[in-house]
Amino acid sequence: MIMADKISIVINGKPREIPEGTFLLDAVRKEGITVPTLCHHKDLMPSGTCRLCICEIEVRGKKKLVTACNYPVREPLEVWTDSETVTRHRRILAEMYLGRWPNVRAVREIAGLCGVSESRFKGRYTEEDPQSCILCGHCVRACREFALERILDFAGRGIHRHIAMPFNEVDPHCIGCTSCAYVCPTGAIQIVDDLNQPVDPQMIRDHGMKVNAEMANLDPVQCRMREVGTANIVDVMNQYDLLPVKNYKYGSHPEVWKIDSKMLKAKYFTQNMPDGCWKGCSMACAKTIDDFELRTGPYKGQKVCVDGPEYETAAGGSNMGCFDADFIAEFNFYCDTYGIDTISAATTIAFVMECFENGVIDTGVTGGLELNFGSGDEVLELLHQMARGEGFGVDVGQGIRWLKDKWENEYGADRKFMDDIGMETKGLEVSEYVTKESLAQQCGYGMAIKGPQHDEAWLIFMDMVNNELPTYEHKAEALHYFPLWRTWFGLYGLCKLCWNDVVPADNKMTSEPQKVPDHVNNYFKFVEGMTGIKLDEQKMLDQSARVYNLQRVMSRMLGYGTRRDDYMPYRALGPVTAEEYESRQDRYDKQLREIVGVDPEGRSTSEKIKILRDYREDQYDKTVSVVYRRRGWDDNGVPTVERLKELGIDLPELVAIVEKNRG
Amino acid sequence: MITVNNRDELSWHDGMTVQDILDVMGYTYVLIMVTVNGVLVHSEDYSGTKVPDEADVRVIHIMHGG
Ligand code: SF4
Ligand code: SF4
Ligand code: FES
Repeated sequence: MIMADKISIVINGKPREIPEGTFLLDAVRKEGITVPTLCHHKDLMPSGTCRLCICEIEVRGKKKLVTACNYPVREPLEVWTDSETVTRHRRILAEMYLGRWPNVRAVREIAGLCGVSESRFKGRYTEEDPQSCILCGHCVRACREFALERILDFAGRGIHRHIAMPFNEVDPHCIGCTSCAYVCPTGAIQIVDDLNQPVDPQMIRDHGMKVNAEMANLDPVQCRMREVGTANIVDVMNQYDLLPVKNYKYGSHPEVWKIDSKMLKAKYFTQNMPDGCWKGCSMACAKTIDDFELRTGPYKGQKVCVDGPEYETAAGGSNMGCFDADFIAEFNFYCDTYGIDTISAATTIAFVMECFENGVIDTGVTGGLELNFGSGDEVLELLHQMARGEGFGVDVGQGIRWLKDKWENEYGADRKFMDDIGMETKGLEVSEYVTKESLAQQCGYGMAIKGPQHDEAWLIFMDMVNNELPTYEHKAEALHYFPLWRTWFGLYGLCKLCWNDVVPADNKMTSEPQKVPDHVNNYFKFVEGMTGIKLDEQKMLDQSARVYNLQRVMSRMLGYGTRRDDYMPYRALGPVTAEEYESRQDRYDKQLREIVGVDPEGRSTSEKIKILRDYREDQYDKTVSVVYRRRGWDDNGVPTVERLKELGIDLPELVAIVEKNRG
Repeated sequence: MITVNNRDELSWHDGMTVQDILDVMGYTYVLIMVTVNGVLVHSEDYSGTKVPDEADVRVIHIMHGG
């Protein structure tokens, strides 16, 4: 958390306390004091060029004039915003501006504030056009800070200074984001064309620019998506005991510093600039490692560009016990090159490793590979085998569900143990979060239509940390709303990261901060601005529910989509093994005592595991039932005909499917 | 004794601040909002805000990612 110390200052005779580093302009404006500004824009970095915001300050006994917009307060001071010297300076400046641009409204207003109505400086450089460029530089900064481009800049000297694109030609690299026009105070930059003919381009722009401004100003102190991308979560998850370690046995590890965002930023990410999925994205969270020399595989010895790693890939490394960023980068590269999903690969291999360490399989099965946790070289060899269609790689490439069947059938492996630790549901491997202490997230994973990925619901903080979902009903409401809301992004093909990977500064003041209401509204306005269709929460939920229920019916057609498909392996719910229980013994003993109502004293670990397990499985079961009801599904998890009717999708062929499979 | 998130209990000491509570709980996440007895505390005031005994403290982590 960025914590600022307070500094005492005196503003026009009034003592005040302000956070250290506050710009002087913000501090005086907070007092309701008017200070004229031309080059300042609330969403852009201050540039200090127009000098209208000048104020007089006294620091350590010395008086001086400073531009308030770019003066960060770092020590106690006294400030006068309208002393005689200040007023004199501002009047002269205002007169000069008015002399050059007498008809620009913004200039006339400023002059008015400074008590100037006529200028002595009119002459051959006077520009009469009311839409003249006044050289405020907003456009230059918006291009850099919002759009992450450098298309516009100042050119020329003195009176010939002007705004230009390279070589004074229209730069084909301009992405047409319109940020520059949006912040231009005079209309000197105009938008001449709206691609795709939206119904209300201004509505889209008004809301899009808010996100741009938040990315420029808040992201650096919030999630740092531009700086390190989703890898920022590695550090957070480890801190909260949620980072999967050794097949989800544990949630943190002392060696995480070797793969966390600080390490990746310091030693790996080379393109020290934000990189987007498409040019113009102001979040631009993709990260890249250049000139990475591969140690293995068909490209051994070559220097390549690695696209990542993102959180899930880095966390996949810790899940396999590999706290080595070189390994993670190589794993990332080869998964991408071979077209293998890093999550499924890492989760499957973590399962294989735990089986290997527990004697479920041996080197006879693995073709000689010593697949202990942390053995990065063997993992890479396995990956190459998978891609070549050779050896043990062929089996591992089939995923956990297939491996469990084969090992049980061919080697008589312990099915119960494999079912408990094999982190898959519906045949899909679980993504990289430890869910043991969050019942809502266990269900979020288990009940997700296409399998246990976190795209439908990520409720761990709400549930486990914040305790905002204390009852089954609370959990069910969250498991109704969030999967529908997150499905909705897919309906429109909109990226969801600008929903909650940056949040407005005043999000805390809203009634439902977890929903980030202002950002939900942004999306509604994007749709309305493009199509003219007005949306609200209920309409959004209904649109989404149609697709979501249809997906559930399709799952039925494919032989899934009932209650038995919505269970999670016990590893997702609680400690399977003694080492797991004992590693967090205080936590589990406390829960037995305070929540389950059983005295752990004098009981063996296996006894305690059993009691905790019975309790947690029962809780899971009950939650699933309540969620089904909230979603309008029967107790077997099949949509009711009434629900299909309500949503207007009670087509005879769909009704036939749900009726046939009920019960 | 103070309560955090309606669940965890911490023993109170004279002069205890919001920042002390965040430190004890290991709450290092950035997107949090803190209320003490229902009143929002801004991040710049965490170190300066004293928490009274018996206080109901909520530290709401706003989810991101996923
Ligand atoms: S439209 Fe966007 S990219 Fe082009 S000059 Fe303006 S701000 Fe820069
Ligand atoms: S074009 Fe507009 S935004 Fe850019 S410097 Fe001129 S007046 Fe300012
Ligand atoms: S507002 Fe232009 S210098 Fe401060």
